[in-house]
Amino acid sequence: MMNKTALFIPCSVNLLLPWIGEAVDRVLKRLDVVSVYPDRQTCCGQMVYNKGFFNEARSFATHFLDVFESFDAVVCPSGSCTAMVKHRYPSLFDDDPKMKQRALDMAGRVFEFSQYLVDVLGVTDTGASFSGKVAYHDSCHLSRDLGVSLQPRTLIRAAQGTELVVLNNGDQCCGFGGEFSVSYPDISTAMVSAKAQSYLDSGADLLVVGEPGCLLNIGTYLEKNHPGKQVLHIAEFLDCQGGENGR
Amino acid sequence: MDVKTQSYVTEAKKEMASPASRTFLDFFLPVLSAVREIGMTSFPDPAAAVERARAIRRSSVDRLGELLETFERNAVKAGARVFWAENAHEANIYIRDLVNRHRIPYVTKGKSMITEELGLNEVLKKNQTPVYETDLGEFIIQLLEKPPFHIIGPAINIPTDEISRVFMEKAGMDSASTDPVVLGQAARNFLRDKFRHMRLGITGVNMAVAETGSILNVENEGNIRFNKSAPGIQVSVMSLEKIVPNLDDALHMTRMLCRNGTGQKLTSYVTLDTGPRKQGEKDGPEELHIIILDNGRSRIYDDIKTREVLQCIRCGACINVCPVFRQIGGYPYGWAYTGPIGKLLNPLLLGLDRTRDLYGACTLCKACKTVCPAGIDHPSMILYLRNKNLAADPVLQGEGSTFAERLMSKTAAFAATRPRTWNTAARLGSFLASKLGPCHPLVSAWTLKRTFPSLPPKTYRDLRKHP
Repeated sequence: MMNKTALFIPCSVNLLLPWIGEAVDRVLKRLDVVSVYPDRQTCCGQMVYNKGFFNEARSFATHFLDVFESFDAVVCPSGSCTAMVKHRYPSLFDDDPKMKQRALDMAGRVFEFSQYLVDVLGVTDTGASFSGKVAYHDSCHLSRDLGVSLQPRTLIRAAQGTELVVLNNGDQCCGFGGEFSVSYPDISTAMVSAKAQSYLDSGADLLVVGEPGCLLNIGTYLEKNHPGKQVLHIAEFLDCQGGENGR
Repeated sequence: MDVKTQSYVTEAKKEMASPASRTFLDFFLPVLSAVREIGMTSFPDPAAAVERARAIRRSSVDRLGELLETFERNAVKAGARVFWAENAHEANIYIRDLVNRHRIPYVTKGKSMITEELGLNEVLKKNQTPVYETDLGEFIIQLLEKPPFHIIGPAINIPTDEISRVFMEKAGMDSASTDPVVLGQAARNFLRDKFRHMRLGITGVNMAVAETGSILNVENEGNIRFNKSAPGIQVSVMSLEKIVPNLDDALHMTRMLCRNGTGQKLTSYVTLDTGPRKQGEKDGPEELHIIILDNGRSRIYDDIKTREVLQCIRCGACINVCPVFRQIGGYPYGWAYTGPIGKLLNPLLLGLDRTRDLYGACTLCKACKTVCPAGIDHPSMILYLRNKNLAADPVLQGEGSTFAERLMSKTAAFAATRPRTWNTAARLGSFLASKLGPCHPLVSAWTLKRTFPSLPPKTYRDLRKHP
């Protein structure tokens, strides 16, 4: 087990979906991982960066490094926040070799939640159980930016009573894209409706995602248009013991 | 062609509501992506083939100036006339004057996006010179007076009954039919006559080979071959990035282009020709004019961050996988290039100020970058364009940021390094957002087809500190 593992909780989880953070805590505890929640953490800065405010994003990056670089591993239940730290931070400091080096050092130690469980801890069976069919949506930043798509599937398959089924166009974007979802609502909702259709077609009882943004987007779409169809974050899914999620 | 990039949002809505477009988008684009994937597996080592292609394109663009000069030297040595056009106007005037000098009654054209970029058809029309598009798709949209929907399938979204109607009206077809064979025959009958008497043919260029001065075109209909071999005068227009160093590289890129475009190992026709007809040769033009078009590309080249876009080989793979394109189709992009590559090329060539939605309407999902055989990182460049737009970049014609945008980003950056301020502001911000009425534009945009998320009583942070 690693010495010092820190949790980095995305803003969306902190403010809107705190139960995902709690699920992360419980799953890690079940696996005997001692995690720290550094109190001074704020935000990865993805919102301002994706808008094009690179200078402002540097403030976020600098603060993140100050808070987290003393840890051996940083775990985050979001692919896009992880990718921001891992891939975008180094590129923000092309003109500052010292900061770039700090960002690069950090890049090797930040992990998305499922990636951390499988690749770092070597865990496949988390002791979760859920009886039914589960489909997994490959979030863009997880699958294409971080290359994480086998890890969550491995964890889902290992859950007791769970059958992993195929989601058509499973790696196609759900249409969230942060500000995109409100700047281009017609396109965004057309995209999420295509995603929901794939879920319905898959025959799954539950959709699992690794990205809080996708969860908000798909979840609120389903709630309005297909009430009863459930979507859970991978941490919530792994927290399930006996079919009922751990909310 | 007209620039309609500013009506992106309204065009997108229109397309999403069109049943004909929907059928095509929902069914055909995934198929195109799938045949591409199958095509790629026919390489002994697909990953290595992609790596090699990306390396070829990177080095071709890095050596652009030198390779273009070599190309010119060798093309001229083979008897071609090379004209460097700094902008669309110079290229159009060159072609118009050539047509007038030789008293050409009409011109025929092979499909080329570059002449769409030039707006050549409009110029020739004004010159009273009839233009016949000879690619079936281009022929259809020319008759319908529609812009291209997709760079490799310009009319791929047009239903057969609409084609039948316009063929009867404008292409001499006798009776209505939605049979593709009958429609194809009608176009063939109409165009054969134009081919028979053609005197000047205009085509684009897929690759210009520096080492030999040759030009290479890929196609599936044989009409480009006609345009390059039958008329007395051949005009080949290339944007300056179409250069590759040698034949070996050209052939590798051809394999890559065909597989990525249509899933074919090779298209039905590939023409590689060097100079005009030589003595004793049976066919080929007496005059070959090669126009090398800049039209803003030197400026793109000068910026090391945007230079990468010149690596594009116009295969269309990025377009077929784009989840936004899969919803809205090609028209909203409003100019010659569509899909992810259009999100880059149109703004870079037209200016950031009138193409905001092109680099704005992207979720940064990276599907385009993942498939690109030329090694373009579209999402990173989209972010760069957003950054340059906010910074009111004079070269790229950025608009600058609004006061509200500056206030938000500066405040956020200030709070980001001050955890207490951050937490208070975030809590307050989300509380206020939860109290916004359903009429607020942000709320109504989200709740168009979604519920509004409710604000939990405690943040994770609070729960962790006081469980």
